[in-house]
Amino acid sequence: MSALGKLFRTTAFKLTLAYLIFFAIFAACLLGYFAWNTRRLITEQITATVDAEIVGLNEQYRQGGIRRLVFVIEDRARRPGSSLYLVSTFNGQTLAGNVGSLPSGTLANAGWIETTYRRQEEQDAGNDHFALARVFQLPGGFRLMVGRDLDERERIYDVILAAGKWSIALVVLLGLAGGFFVARRMLRRVDAMTESTRIIMDGNFTGRLPVVGSGDELDRLADNLNAMLARIEALMHGLKEVTDNIAHDLKTPLTRLRNRSEQALRTAKTEAEYRAALDATIEESDALIRTFNALLLIARAESGQARGETVEFDAADIARGVTELYEPLADEKGLLLRVEADAPALVRGNRELVSQALANLVDNAIKYAAPNGAPEAPPPEIVVRAAGAGERVILSVSDRGPGIAEADRGRAIERFVRLEQSRTQPGSGLGLSLAAAVARLHGGELRLEDNQPGLRIVLALPRSPGQATP
Amino acid sequence: MEAVRGWLAQARRPLLLFHEDDIWRIDVVSVPQAPKASSVPKAAAARPFQNPSPLNTSEAEASADHRIAEQTNAPMRLLIIEDDRTAADYLVKAFREVGHVAEHAADGEDGLAQALHGQFDVLIVDRMLPKLDGLTVIGTLRAKNIHTPALILSALGQVDDRVKGLRAGGDDYLAKPYSFAELLARIEVLARRGGGRSEEMTYRVGDLVLDRLSHSVTRGTEELTLQPREFRLLEYLMKHAGQVVTRTMLLENVWDYHFDPQTNVIDVHISRLRSKIDKGFAQPLLHTIRGAGYMVRDNK
Repeated sequence: MSALGKLFRTTAFKLTLAYLIFFAIFAACLLGYFAWNTRRLITEQITATVDAEIVGLNEQYRQGGIRRLVFVIEDRARRPGSSLYLVSTFNGQTLAGNVGSLPSGTLANAGWIETTYRRQEEQDAGNDHFALARVFQLPGGFRLMVGRDLDERERIYDVILAAGKWSIALVVLLGLAGGFFVARRMLRRVDAMTESTRIIMDGNFTGRLPVVGSGDELDRLADNLNAMLARIEALMHGLKEVTDNIAHDLKTPLTRLRNRSEQALRTAKTEAEYRAALDATIEESDALIRTFNALLLIARAESGQARGETVEFDAADIARGVTELYEPLADEKGLLLRVEADAPALVRGNRELVSQALANLVDNAIKYAAPNGAPEAPPPEIVVRAAGAGERVILSVSDRGPGIAEADRGRAIERFVRLEQSRTQPGSGLGLSLAAAVARLHGGELRLEDNQPGLRIVLALPRSPGQATP
Repeated sequence: MEAVRGWLAQARRPLLLFHEDDIWRIDVVSVPQAPKASSVPKAAAARPFQNPSPLNTSEAEASADHRIAEQTNAPMRLLIIEDDRTAADYLVKAFREVGHVAEHAADGEDGLAQALHGQFDVLIVDRMLPKLDGLTVIGTLRAKNIHTPALILSALGQVDDRVKGLRAGGDDYLAKPYSFAELLARIEVLARRGGGRSEEMTYRVGDLVLDRLSHSVTRGTEELTLQPREFRLLEYLMKHAGQVVTRTMLLENVWDYHFDPQTNVIDVHISRLRSKIDKGFAQPLLHTIRGAGYMVRDNK
């Protein structure tokens, strides 16, 4: 496709063309109407003048007979810019007037007539002029014709027509030029965008669409597409990280599983040894399944598929339920788990997922908030809270454990990240990531805060619209 | 019961039931040559319940061998509708080994035909089947007013899939991969659900009595004080007295949670309950079934 062909095919150019045609037709109609009306107006004026003159001349005739009429007409006919006058006898002999000649039979019938005539002074030049005239039968067989030359009318008409033609030609020309310019400018920007997307499609995900900075619709489009690209890039990056992490966190236990089985085959002699090896294998595979399930759930939550059926539920209820479930476990570990959730805090979403997220957080807190060494000291507290705060419902778990250094907090939420000192603890390392994914699914967020000392994990969810802010 | 004892007596070899491709943890450390139920509880009773720990395996192993005798006392007819040949064969074999009769259908249509014409105690239905999917099979059966309990097996383990399965007429839902012990426990509960003791107002196991109306629990002459959740836990266990109840079943039915709580929180709850109902009594009633779950049973 040639550059010009490409230009003509642009939407901008096609639009310009369509507008142009529409506008040209409109202008033509307007001018046509104007011309027609002007012409009608002039005709009307002529008729009125002629009528008035006939009335006046008829009056002269009645008062002074034909002599007076001829006299008056001779007088009027000499004035510059005068009307056309002609008085003739019943047999067609001209008595007075300023008309040179008329086509024969013009005076035969009384009434309005549009006719050609020749002026007296150019009788022989052969220049026919148009006139609008009225033939009047005077008593006594005389005929009176009064008319006006139509040259003026035709001239005005021609001027308007010529103006119309030129202005339409100008409109078309300017329109085409404008369309060409706009289309070319548009095309250049779109071409730049197309080029950028081609580069991005080739695999360079850091590429972005050009933004001119004018804030027009193309800029807004480019801005949005760039935001989309940034999100895609982040997802791709996340995916790559996940793949790496899966490779690590699933392959490590798989390797362990395989090694253990191999070792059992090599060294186990008694049934008890085989049994122990099998038990260990099953335990390891259970842990693998758990990790795998958590991964699946996170993936589903992040893609928004896990939403399932949304119901309105009380987050305080969830806090109490989860605390009740974990309280004996905390107690056994020498920790005090208690709940502070008195007022109902309604949330709309997936009750099961929010429960699971909170359970994960509590489980985490119990795992990491080791009891203090002194046996007499009161057990360290873990507090689960649920409360409404403005537009949000805050579910939080606060412990008195070692906490997480501020620099590590962002990383702690990422999938599979278990901070170095906690690598020895059991668990898939997905608890926080899952809670974060659940928060995002509900349009909320997961925050890690300093509990001074210890860690406070905050699961902020949007408050259900059903419950007004107090 | 006699037939089962005979079968067990024949199985003189240590019963080791496992399969190459699934989780199979019924742990029978030593099958008694002549299984007299009373010989076992002594060992269990001898163990003091001080500072009970959920991860203490010696306690668990002590009562490990109740379950075979218990679970085989009523042979069931099962229909397994599953298109994976290996998995189905394994299930059929495993169910036969514990004394149940299992039929197999390889696709949805065949399964539906068999379920319509055969007499089964429980149907085990895979969700994704050739020809007719599992939910449609169950839906068709229910529409024809056939209410054989059905357990749905599915690789889709998410909460909404489970809800969909139960809504379609399934009675229970188990996500793959599962342990055979879990499946067996659920099947047995399903099979006995109809003729169970759900309508009774008082549950009685040995000298332990739970009154559902007055929410009181007594053991012998002693009134026990239980927390509401402990009461519900005991209620569920006693409702299924003599049956293995897995941790997941407890989490689902007592707590109404369908997720994995990461740590075995249920074990700690059981320990607490045990310390209330069994501590100080000669005869323990709440038993740990290793690799499977728990059971309330009077061994006398």
